[in-house]
Amino acid sequence: MKKVFVVYAADNVGTAVLEPIQVGDHVGCNGERSDLEVVALDDIAYGHKIALMDIAAGDTVLKYGLSIGSATREIKEGEHVHAHNVESNRGRGDLAGSGALRAE
Amino acid sequence: MSEFLGYIRPNGDVGIRNHLLILSGTVYANGVCERVAGTIHGAVPITHANGRCQVAPDLRVTRRFLAGTAMNPNVGAVVIIDHFKEEGMTAEDLADDIAATGKPIATVNIRGDGGFISAVDKATRYAQDFARQISLDQREAAPMSKILFGTECGTSDTTSGLASNPANGLAGEILIAQGGRMLMAECTEWMGCENWLTDKAASPAVAEAILAGVRHMEARALASGEDIRGSQPTGDNMAGGLTTIEEKSMGAVKKIGDSPIIEYLEIAEAPTRTDPGNYVMYGPGMGAESISSMAAAGCQVLTFCTGGGHTSNHPIMPTIKVTGNRQSFELMRDTVDVDISGVFYDEITLAEAGQIVYDEVERVCNGYLTKSEALRDNNSFAIHRVGPSI
Repeated sequence: MKKVFVVYAADNVGTAVLEPIQVGDHVGCNGERSDLEVVALDDIAYGHKIALMDIAAGDTVLKYGLSIGSATREIKEGEHVHAHNVESNRGRGDLAGSGALRAE
Repeated sequence: MSEFLGYIRPNGDVGIRNHLLILSGTVYANGVCERVAGTIHGAVPITHANGRCQVAPDLRVTRRFLAGTAMNPNVGAVVIIDHFKEEGMTAEDLADDIAATGKPIATVNIRGDGGFISAVDKATRYAQDFARQISLDQREAAPMSKILFGTECGTSDTTSGLASNPANGLAGEILIAQGGRMLMAECTEWMGCENWLTDKAASPAVAEAILAGVRHMEARALASGEDIRGSQPTGDNMAGGLTTIEEKSMGAVKKIGDSPIIEYLEIAEAPTRTDPGNYVMYGPGMGAESISSMAAAGCQVLTFCTGGGHTSNHPIMPTIKVTGNRQSFELMRDTVDVDISGVFYDEITLAEAGQIVYDEVERVCNGYLTKSEALRDNNSFAIHRVGPSI
């Protein structure tokens, strides 16, 4: 079974480090969780994250056991977790500046 | 509490190396410094592009970098060379800063001593005497609490935040549990996880200084026309799977552990406290400047966590490269010291990886050469500028 890496036990996302994940793959975990198994709903490229459980809109996305942002919509277990469904919680004054456009 | 074998200095500091430093006071003394260092056994030249035509605040930072490097416990003796009498940056000014350490110091002035050839002659004779004098120094037992352990990350990839940085944070905790101190700089990387840092601050003043440091670095970049808030994470970070600035920064700052942050330091400033714990320093993400600022603050040893692989090595502060990327380790086997990629293959736990990093640090403190030291690849001395050349 393919595996994703979970840094801290409280995390609700895992990272594809060993190999990329394809839709429909059964995915296990290593690192701090070995008990979770999910079915991938999206392709997950190397370095990208997969939801290990359902995450409700507005809920905190946890990696390192800490917030890396909030879900902008409901994220299903097995979905790709990235900029299309997570936003930063840090002070957003920067978005008023032209610099924000360079992020893409 | 465990001990290591180090060089006990007159002021009580303990070095893990016993270098003879040939220190250039200004850019125009570099040639003499290199000539002297090339002649004398074990001499390490410190050369740079600074020391002339700098505005006062910038010159003060340069002086702190140079004097701090010479004051580092890993330096046994210093020969300082300047070319003229630049106000605020003469060989004697630097010698005054270093004097309190009690280590042997000599100064040479190229003009005053009769030009290049005479300056090389005089400095080489000083250096020969010092090299023989410090060769008598013996390693003695000292507590690990004497270690100021610097840490840096660079050429990071997905594996950095997941493995090498958190393992490094755990290694720091092992040292701190024995009374030691860990130092992290690169405040550009604190953006997005300021709260994680301020929650650890030992006092409100430290917390406020951390926030002010991040604001200052953002403003400094903005003044140069770059909004580093809006451009982080960068496009290649996003393509690599990093979603938010919090995620990127957390991966970086996890290279320190959960112990309290005792003190906030200005760049290249030595800690005033000796309490065990974490220390943080204002400074840029630029690796060579960052690790040089930590060497100037007195770090005897530094871990450099890397994903893609890195060659960084400071001339007097052994720089241990740690990676969680097995391919990078294989490609750079002669350069990267520690491979903890086993965490991804169920071979070792993160806690075990932390112990592996710590054990390497302890070995290097006892004299074990890093790979880059053995290669004499002393590529990473650089001074941070805070003002324009005028």
